[in-house]
Amino acid sequence: MSAHKTINPQLALDAILDVLIPANRDRDIPAAGELGVAAFVTEAAARNPALNSALVTLIARAGELAGGITPHTVRQLESELPEAFSLLLTETYKGYYSRPDMRAKVGVGSHPVHPAGYEVASDPPALLNELTAPVRARGPVFRDPTGGQA
Amino acid sequence: MKLEPVDVLIIGAGASGAAIAWSLLETRMRILCLEQGDHLLDKDFPSRREDYELARYAEFSCDPNVRGLPQDYPINAEDSCITPVNWNGVGGSTINFLGHWPRMRPSDFRTRSLDGVGEDWPVDYHDLARFYDMNDRNTGVSGLGGNPAYPDYTPPHPPIPMGKLGQTLARGFNEKGWHWWPSDVAILSENDDGRQKCVNAGTCDLGCAAGAKGGTNFTYWPMLENAGVELRTKARVREILVDEASGFATGVLYHAADGQVYEQKAELVIVACNGVGTPRLLLNSKSKLFPEGLANRSGKVGKNLMFHPLTGVAGVFDEPMKGHEGPMACSILSQEFYESDPDREFVRGYGLHSGRSTTPMTYALGGYGIDNPIPWGAEHREIMDNVYPYLAGLTVVTEDLPEEHNCVTLDPDLTDSDGIPAPKITYRLGENTQAMLKHGEARAQEVLLAAGARRILPKGDKVWWRAGWHQMGTCRMGNDPGASVVNGWGRSHDVKNLFIVDGSIFVTAGAVNPTSTIQALALFIGDRIKTNIATLFD
Ligand SMILES: Cc1cc2nc3c(=O)[nH]c(=O)nc-3n(C[C@H](O)[C@H](O)[C@H](O)COP(=O)(O)OP(=O)(O)OC[C@H]3O[C@@H](n4cnc5c(N)ncnc54)[C@H](O)[C@@H]3O)c2cc1C
Ligand code: SF4
Repeated sequence: MSAHKTINPQLALDAILDVLIPANRDRDIPAAGELGVAAFVTEAAARNPALNSALVTLIARAGELAGGITPHTVRQLESELPEAFSLLLTETYKGYYSRPDMRAKVGVGSHPVHPAGYEVASDPPALLNELTAPVRARGPVFRDPTGGQA
Repeated sequence: MKLEPVDVLIIGAGASGAAIAWSLLETRMRILCLEQGDHLLDKDFPSRREDYELARYAEFSCDPNVRGLPQDYPINAEDSCITPVNWNGVGGSTINFLGHWPRMRPSDFRTRSLDGVGEDWPVDYHDLARFYDMNDRNTGVSGLGGNPAYPDYTPPHPPIPMGKLGQTLARGFNEKGWHWWPSDVAILSENDDGRQKCVNAGTCDLGCAAGAKGGTNFTYWPMLENAGVELRTKARVREILVDEASGFATGVLYHAADGQVYEQKAELVIVACNGVGTPRLLLNSKSKLFPEGLANRSGKVGKNLMFHPLTGVAGVFDEPMKGHEGPMACSILSQEFYESDPDREFVRGYGLHSGRSTTPMTYALGGYGIDNPIPWGAEHREIMDNVYPYLAGLTVVTEDLPEEHNCVTLDPDLTDSDGIPAPKITYRLGENTQAMLKHGEARAQEVLLAAGARRILPKGDKVWWRAGWHQMGTCRMGNDPGASVVNGWGRSHDVKNLFIVDGSIFVTAGAVNPTSTIQALALFIGDRIKTNIATLFD
């Protein structure tokens, strides 16, 4: 990503990311910019020319907008530059949720899912029996035109 | 360069190629399988990485156009509302499939006589029943016997846990008085034959690093390779060759990893390249005898492409549903609306599948198979903190009717890395399907509310884009050579030593995931080949 004259691109990107995924202070969940997702996004941009030019364009335009980076100006970026914005949004979500600690904040294990997986108890036979009883009670619900006599 | 001839040449090492190889093993014929991809190495399972979800958007996407790996072929789906997805390598699409394992129902094989749509199959449920059982044992299927939606059978292993989500939805179905049943799954609920039981990791699309999911990379192929079946990987078949005098297939030309093209001769050629790969190969195999593509005198190669168009409805509950824990697509299945009902505005029917919910990144990006990120900003925070953990959803999986205009052809420009013309998909949703999707959405909402959902999430109108998991119908079977590509046991009407065993031979699609039927059919065809061996080419 190339630097832009009027604003510090790093700060601008952090600010945009903070708007895209804001913090939840009550639950100690950081916003995307403060979490450092910009590093993920710029690394991805180094490998992806379309994303790189999207970033350059978005940040340049952000620098021209009065009032700094707010939800309102980010909305403006989205409506003026929808394709570039969509590339950035996708990469931001990827960067944020590829962080194991952020997965844990929304109730999903931070560990790689193999080999440990999750402990899920098997359904006790009595429960299965109880739950399926009304279904069994209604009897067969299929049509069998040949009944084995093809 | 020419190689030593073999008796049986199978093209494609996925679900169906593996099953037919197993069936033919006892004949002691020399069997060779050519597969364009490679084995998936243990180190390559992304679910062992901390950032495992990223693989879904890169090298482990289900979409070959996203993966773009050397073994993949591109698919032009610009004229389709659904794009086909797959895996190309040993195990085929059972590497990234989700292991949901319902059988087709008896009525699925008789849609013309029962409901006046599609065509009747030349086989029926009862012809396949013993092969379903056989394949369930080989695959390691878990489930609960006694499902009143089927003639009686019992899966070899007890059911996997439905989990809180499945139990909650089951109560909703009971409240409505509607059918549901714990899903049959090609996933082990208990350790079996050196394979580990499912650890509920929930990322079955990223390959199953535990070996619990019954991909043929874990089930048939180790057994087959031990028994002497040769599996030649990184071998992409360019065309099937035919002898102009006899009209028999003589073998194939294939591109090997060393960049050379080889000719492999065989007595019997079996195509198992899936519902898009198979018509592509036949259409690429043109000759004086078959100027419109091999085995295509009927003109049906590539026609009648069927998917299972689907849509999802999600409800928000009061307690966390832990939908990411447990096999991704399998918990319970309702077939309340499976059979035709004259009171509805459509024929045939659909299933309501309780997929579990997905992992956070995939949810934020729109869900599995969808590119439609959830809102950003304050709304994003609200959704991820107060909606996502509390979700339970139902997927409406509809029966697609065969329609000739839905088809696979060859793209005039696009090719794979070996320069072989790529497939082009032309597909639109039928009116019947659209009516089913609408009906299914409304019923799914009712169940979710009956199960205790406090609200239903709004959803877009589109069907899922990457929902071309099941590719069927493009070389249909039938008794009439003018209206079908293969006969009632998979043999080409036009080329007597050419067989097709994958989902392209389906006559209709049913409204269930197809792989248990694809493999049962492959075993059935293997059985017919053995029975008819003395007169096989008559
Ligand atoms: C993400 C995903 C989820 C799914 N979930 C389910 C599910 O839950 N339940 C279910 O029943 N089904 C599911 N399916 C579908 C299931 O995987 C397929 O129905 C099944 O694998 C088809 O078997 P097949 O043998 O026809 O093809 P495949 O298993 O796809 O195998 C075809 C093989 O042929 C090879 N090949 C193709 N062309 C050539 C060539 N020219 N030369 C050499 N090799 C070639 C390919 O590389 C591939 O390995 C899913 C599929 C996907 C992609
Ligand atoms: S959830 Fe079970 S079947 Fe799916 S990948 Fe994990 S261990 Fe395998």
